[in-house]
Amino acid sequence: MKRNLVVFGFIVVILGLGLILTVGCAKKVVKETAEEKTATVQKEAAAAAQPAETEEQRLARENAMKEAALREEQERERALAAQKEKEAAAAAMAEAFADLRFDFDKFDLKPEARETLKKAAAYMTANKDVTVVIEGNCDERGTVEYNLALGEKRALGAMKFLVDLGVDKGRIKTISYGKERPLDPGHTEDAWAKNRRDHFVVTEK
Amino acid sequence: MTKKIVFVIAFFLVFGVTAPSHGRVYIDIDSPTIQKFPLAIADFKNLGKNPDKDKLGTWFPDALGKALQVTGFFTIIQRNAFLEDPNQAGITTDSIRFSDWTGIGAESLIKGGFQVNGKELVAEFRLFDVIQGKLISGKKYTGKVSDRKDMVLKFASEVLLQLTGEKGVFDTRIAFAGKKGQISEIYAINFDGSELTRITNFRSLTLLPRWSPDSREITFTSYRDGNPDLFIMDMSSGRARKISGFSGLNLAAPWSPDGTKILMTLSKDGHQEIYVMDFREGKARRLTHNYSINISPTWSPDGKRIAFVSDRAGSPQIYVMDADGDNQRRLTYQGNYNTSPSWSPKGKRIAFEGMVNGSFQILSIDEDGGNLAQLTTEGGRNESPSWSPDGRYIAFASIKNGRNRLCVMNANGSNVRILHEGMGGYANTSWSSRSNLY
Repeated sequence: MKRNLVVFGFIVVILGLGLILTVGCAKKVVKETAEEKTATVQKEAAAAAQPAETEEQRLARENAMKEAALREEQERERALAAQKEKEAAAAAMAEAFADLRFDFDKFDLKPEARETLKKAAAYMTANKDVTVVIEGNCDERGTVEYNLALGEKRALGAMKFLVDLGVDKGRIKTISYGKERPLDPGHTEDAWAKNRRDHFVVTEK
Repeated sequence: MTKKIVFVIAFFLVFGVTAPSHGRVYIDIDSPTIQKFPLAIADFKNLGKNPDKDKLGTWFPDALGKALQVTGFFTIIQRNAFLEDPNQAGITTDSIRFSDWTGIGAESLIKGGFQVNGKELVAEFRLFDVIQGKLISGKKYTGKVSDRKDMVLKFASEVLLQLTGEKGVFDTRIAFAGKKGQISEIYAINFDGSELTRITNFRSLTLLPRWSPDSREITFTSYRDGNPDLFIMDMSSGRARKISGFSGLNLAAPWSPDGTKILMTLSKDGHQEIYVMDFREGKARRLTHNYSINISPTWSPDGKRIAFVSDRAGSPQIYVMDADGDNQRRLTYQGNYNTSPSWSPKGKRIAFEGMVNGSFQILSIDEDGGNLAQLTTEGGRNESPSWSPDGRYIAFASIKNGRNRLCVMNANGSNVRILHEGMGGYANTSWSSRSNLY
């Protein structure tokens, strides 16, 4: 009988301990959850303080974002197209005013030179604020003076061709550099061919 | 009959009086052969009491030897070949054993002495004919030790006068356009390659220098103002002013021998024509009327004719005309590119630049078109010939293996000498007159 009491008491103590522990833990957990819950409650409270967004407003906001993105893309495409146009225009101008090549000791215009000059004339007719300086040049062989004259004849020949195609003479200037300003400083046939040239300096106001 | 005899006698009297007094021709400049005259120059004796601190005893013969070598007429015999005992022999005729000198192949001998007193210098020079064993000429100069190079050049001129009949061109300068990168300026340099000086500072393309006959002024063409314009510069003040600025080319060309006119090439009417401008009138008069290129005019030494370049026949060739533009006739018929004529001051030959087998060489031709001779043979390009005032040398620009040089050669093409190298290009040589310094 007494022994049973002791055992019973023991069990009660253990149970009691367990209960305390459980309650303690439960209390802790409850404590944390409670903190979180407080935070959430606070947030919701803050949100609830602003006017609540309606479905319409949400849709409108999304649409605006879509349109902004669309506009951005269109801008990009426009810029790209403009860039391409600029490059094309530059290429067209380069083609219209490419260096004219000449044979040794000659100032007559070769067929390719005439084609280039036709493009130049067309360009200058379409763009009235373009003026040009034609620089006549020679390769390094022969005298300084004779080459100054030859370079001048090359420049004057090109000018006459443009004037004959309707370009106003006042928009064209000529100057000869003879053999003094070579494009290629080399001493080969290839370098000489490059240097026998009319070079255009184009000004677009 | 009497009148005729009197005239003939008078003629011979005049001729007799003006004949050279020494009679003998030592060096025949016009000879086509390239044989040089053997000359020995002995060490100079210290005739004074002061020690020879500056080693003038060897400086004088070395400097004199160098100056005479540059003329191209002499072989200077090396001193290690000498037989004479310098302690025995003196500098006067009676103290020289001439067989010591004929024995080593010399035909002439130069001896000399000096006395130095602080900065003062007295130098004596003597030129001997070794074969005849006699004194040809002796000179004594007084000055400063710093004047010694002038003394050497003075006597070198005297040696040339005695042995060749003329004084030489030690007191002349050669002007040219020197290129550095994209810029060219006018420079001048002495006949012996010393004293290079820059004359213009336009920092542009500046070309075609042309001396006035008294070498006090120089004309040239420059792109300084954006167009090839013609300028004149006073050499002493360095001030330049524009004298022709028409549209197109205003190319400087030589002065008339009397200094009153200049030639130029203008293209203001749309094509290149030759004009003459008289400084007294101030107006340019046109000499050619031709749609082809007419350029590079040069005067004959008597100022009565002009040689120039024209491509009226389809390729650039040398032509000659009277000074008023009449009688234009073609001179060169060989080759299909002949330009840059320069008329010898002695009158009979015209040097020019012609394309030969794909390269450019200096050639010369009689003023009536005969006796074409090729003077240069080497190199890729030889350009812009210009005669010395005594007609014995030609300056020119040369490119060989990619190297640019300013050169001088004897009028027969021998003795090519480099005056300067290292610039990006040399062009438009122009030889000044003699300044009578030596």
